[in-house]
Amino acid sequence: MSRGEALETGPATVAPAAAATTPAAAAREDAEVRATRGAFGRLLRSELRLVLGRRRTQLLVLLLALVPVLVGTIVRATVDSAFSGQGPGFIERVSGNGLFLVVTALFLCLPLLLPLGVSIAAADAVAGEASAGTLRYLLVVPVGRGRLLAAKAIAALTLVVVAIALVTAAALVTGWVYFGYGDLDLLSGQSVSAAAGFARMLGVAGYVALSLTGLLAVGLFFSTLTEVPIGVIAATVVVSILSNVLDSLPQVEAIHPFLLSHHWFDFAEFLRAEVSWSLLGQGLLVQLAWVAVFGSLAWARFTTADITS
Amino acid sequence: MTPTATRPDGALDGGAVGAPVVRSEGLTKRFRNGQVAVDGIDLEVPRGAVYGFLGPNGSGKTTTIRMLLGLVQATAGRAWLLGEPMPDGGARVLPRVGALVEGPAFQPYLSGRANLERLDAVDASAPRRTSARRIGDALERVGLAAAARKPYRQYSLGMKQRLGLAAALLRPRELLVLDEPTNGLDPQGTREVRHLVRELAGEGATILVSSHLLSEIDQVCTHVGVMRQGRLLVQGPRDALGTADAAQVVVTTEPGSLAQARETFARLGLEETAVDGEVVAARLGAVALADVAPALVAAGVPVLGLEIRRPTLEDLFVELTGQGFDVSG
Amino acid sequence: MNRTLLRWTVPAAAAVAVVAAATIPTLASADSPELPDRTPEELAAAVVEAEPVPMSGSAVYTARLGLPEIPAQMTGGADPLNLLSGSSTIRMWTDAEGRSRVSLLGTTSEYSVVTDGPEAWTYASSSHQVVHLTLGPDAQEHLADAEAEHAAAEAAGTLPTPQDLAQQLLERAEEHADVTVGDAVVVAGRAAYQVVVTPTDDGTLVDRVVVAVDGETLVPLSVQVWSTEATNAPALELAYTDVSFSAPSDAALTFSTPSGAEVTEKVVELGDLDAAPEHTGDVPDGVTVSGEGFATVVERSGGDLEALLTGDPAAVADELDHPLGGGPGEELFGDMGGGTELDRAALYEQLTTPVDGGRLLSSTLLSVLVTDDGRILVGAVPGETLLEAAGLA
Repeated sequence: MSRGEALETGPATVAPAAAATTPAAAAREDAEVRATRGAFGRLLRSELRLVLGRRRTQLLVLLLALVPVLVGTIVRATVDSAFSGQGPGFIERVSGNGLFLVVTALFLCLPLLLPLGVSIAAADAVAGEASAGTLRYLLVVPVGRGRLLAAKAIAALTLVVVAIALVTAAALVTGWVYFGYGDLDLLSGQSVSAAAGFARMLGVAGYVALSLTGLLAVGLFFSTLTEVPIGVIAATVVVSILSNVLDSLPQVEAIHPFLLSHHWFDFAEFLRAEVSWSLLGQGLLVQLAWVAVFGSLAWARFTTADITS
Repeated sequence: MTPTATRPDGALDGGAVGAPVVRSEGLTKRFRNGQVAVDGIDLEVPRGAVYGFLGPNGSGKTTTIRMLLGLVQATAGRAWLLGEPMPDGGARVLPRVGALVEGPAFQPYLSGRANLERLDAVDASAPRRTSARRIGDALERVGLAAAARKPYRQYSLGMKQRLGLAAALLRPRELLVLDEPTNGLDPQGTREVRHLVRELAGEGATILVSSHLLSEIDQVCTHVGVMRQGRLLVQGPRDALGTADAAQVVVTTEPGSLAQARETFARLGLEETAVDGEVVAARLGAVALADVAPALVAAGVPVLGLEIRRPTLEDLFVELTGQGFDVSG
Repeated sequence: MNRTLLRWTVPAAAAVAVVAAATIPTLASADSPELPDRTPEELAAAVVEAEPVPMSGSAVYTARLGLPEIPAQMTGGADPLNLLSGSSTIRMWTDAEGRSRVSLLGTTSEYSVVTDGPEAWTYASSSHQVVHLTLGPDAQEHLADAEAEHAAAEAAGTLPTPQDLAQQLLERAEEHADVTVGDAVVVAGRAAYQVVVTPTDDGTLVDRVVVAVDGETLVPLSVQVWSTEATNAPALELAYTDVSFSAPSDAALTFSTPSGAEVTEKVVELGDLDAAPEHTGDVPDGVTVSGEGFATVVERSGGDLEALLTGDPAAVADELDHPLGGGPGEELFGDMGGGTELDRAALYEQLTTPVDGGRLLSSTLLSVLVTDDGRILVGAVPGETLLEAAGLA
């Protein structure tokens, strides 16, 4: 899944053919024209168009972006009622400062909705193509399998990033419209300026996106194993739930630091007076480890698998 | 001098005259469940041939094609396309190969044109600036230009099949591998595909066309390979298959002369004589056809009709396997 | 086929690399670092008498007391009650000049105790509540400056730091335990002495206490309390994961009330201070003490049991205060009086089991017996010992 692989499987260099007169010779000449520069970029753009242009995906992302709008509206509607200040995460702080809607929305989406989105992105990437039968046609075009997998991984990651960006943007807009921005009270009790608070919210969103890369790699691996996208979605969601469950069992605390989801909620670091970059770094290292193992598993599987769909 | 001849890996020169375009040696696929789908076949498709790859469903044709195209790894044996070993040479050779594998498959919500654009974008060696023109030409050629903007999911079965053919024709190809290209087409579509295949062959492309419908291949192919239960029973030029003496002579006469005709055939030394209604048929064998009519006339048999029936592929298949072709499945 | 196998060696290598990266630091720290020899007494004394130094760090606190985990929904975020079970992260900053901040980190919340001389604040982010503690006039009058500095913080119900916990445990070690020095270890990346305290009295649940003391500054870096009932892991562990001995920034040490926070002013009077009886050596009315050292059992009668059962936080704090005379019990149960709004009656039901004549809380380190006739017995001893002491066995 690395860039190295993409280069390795690129077409070998072949000199342009002499002028051809027969169709067969023309075919040879045409094929042996050097792989045009930016061929990977072209492949990637095509993948992105496919992934982001899919109606179902657009609808899903839109629904995710509705979460902050919905939460903001509910908080707004109940601000003077008995329910005011009740609920999970940072919801009680939203009415005081619209910026808190970003963390509230991501906090609400992170346990299930975002992993579900990641699973769908991963499932569509390879298993979806296999089940539609289009994978065999892509491969005989031809395109190097490592190259294709890399493009698909990047496209799936882009989808996740876009989803999180839209949730964040929707939260920022909704929060601003309903509650306005103000100095941000941190969890530690200190406050920072609204501008600094805004930057911290972007940090939260960025960290959440990177936290999901490990799960995406796991999903992609599952995606290379089967032609049934729904199976990939189910398996990937189960992995994320399992990770959360194990993370809550003190009996297996030795493995906690290595669990996919262990550092997910460390995005809260951005809301502490002194952001522990080492803790955030640990979280990203864990993701990197999962990406390395499951990314290479996906690569090994996909580059050697029999395409029988 | 073609560039392929100078490759350092010493692969066969795909352009050399006489070198087979498709070749395999002991190609074998054993699936993980132990089932042997393809059992040591040695294919040879000469340049310029229209090779009819025949066999009932489940005989291993598609698995063989998948191995040739690098989609499935062979358990044993080797294969070459245009002189390049597969699957290693795939990146070099597949741009010169158009393929339709087990029916068309496209993204349902993209238009026909967008689907072709996608396939062309994936092709690292396809010249980008000619992309629109090549796609337009391919759609034109299969008669889909008018429906190019419609989403694929609204296509009829026949249109889907045509789009699959268009994808195989996105670039000039030296070899076309067409797996069941007429599947789902109406008689008119089938005729069009046959016409297209002849046209492509006329332009110099080599065509490997698989089918379980013998009659449709019979009319276009120059070479034939017959598969059954994973084995290649026979392959060679169409004309060389089914020896000349397999031809039948059939005479139509009046009911009263049937016995006489039969005797005459026996006298001439024809074998396997059979009477069916007003028709007497027999295998020609080594007997010269020119001798048959005079002998009948001399014996006083009123010859109302006389024809020579060469064996069809179906007959050939029955002859080779001792069983009928599973047309339905 | 060979190539297929070759491909699969890549993920295998990646997995090996990841496992290696995860375990090698642990293995490396298992090597005993070189430190100059010191006697156990010297080290124990150094810890007890140590003056605070400016530092900051993160510590992980893990309790394996055999108590049911308190669900996060119950506490609603970072809350001292979380310390009863499971793991918590604590961050601390101190300038060693009377200003400090100790924060208990929740998943998306924080509970902070900020001390500035004779003033202290607690802030719970989940409830957005501030408690501001100041010393009353008579307290200020009666206490020396140094004592006054700690008084407010103590009244706020401090969060444990390795330093505090180590000091409290080692103070009693000299009389009632054997002190030895174990192999040097690495804690938070620093070479540290290990002081092992083994109680001489075998009536206690405390098997041994292991304190890691920084080789350079002699600041305690970790404390482990091992129970006699669970030998595979310490029942209580509080250890720095990273530590820095430089003066923390002003921002970390100052407290400003967040906008919109609910502020409770609390004046600490002399009578509120637990320090008072300790200093005079008196035992308050209604309290009897039996046993000694780690096996001490404190019995208190005439407590406001009704208030306790209905979950009056003040009563709980009052009743459960100081069972170990300043040991981990104080940290745990004293803090039950924290400022959270949760169903304490339900919690009480959940943590205790009914016995003949009362309800018993048994953990691997501490037992608490509440008798039906209104007595409360607490000690780092098995539950049977408490039942005997209460005359119920």
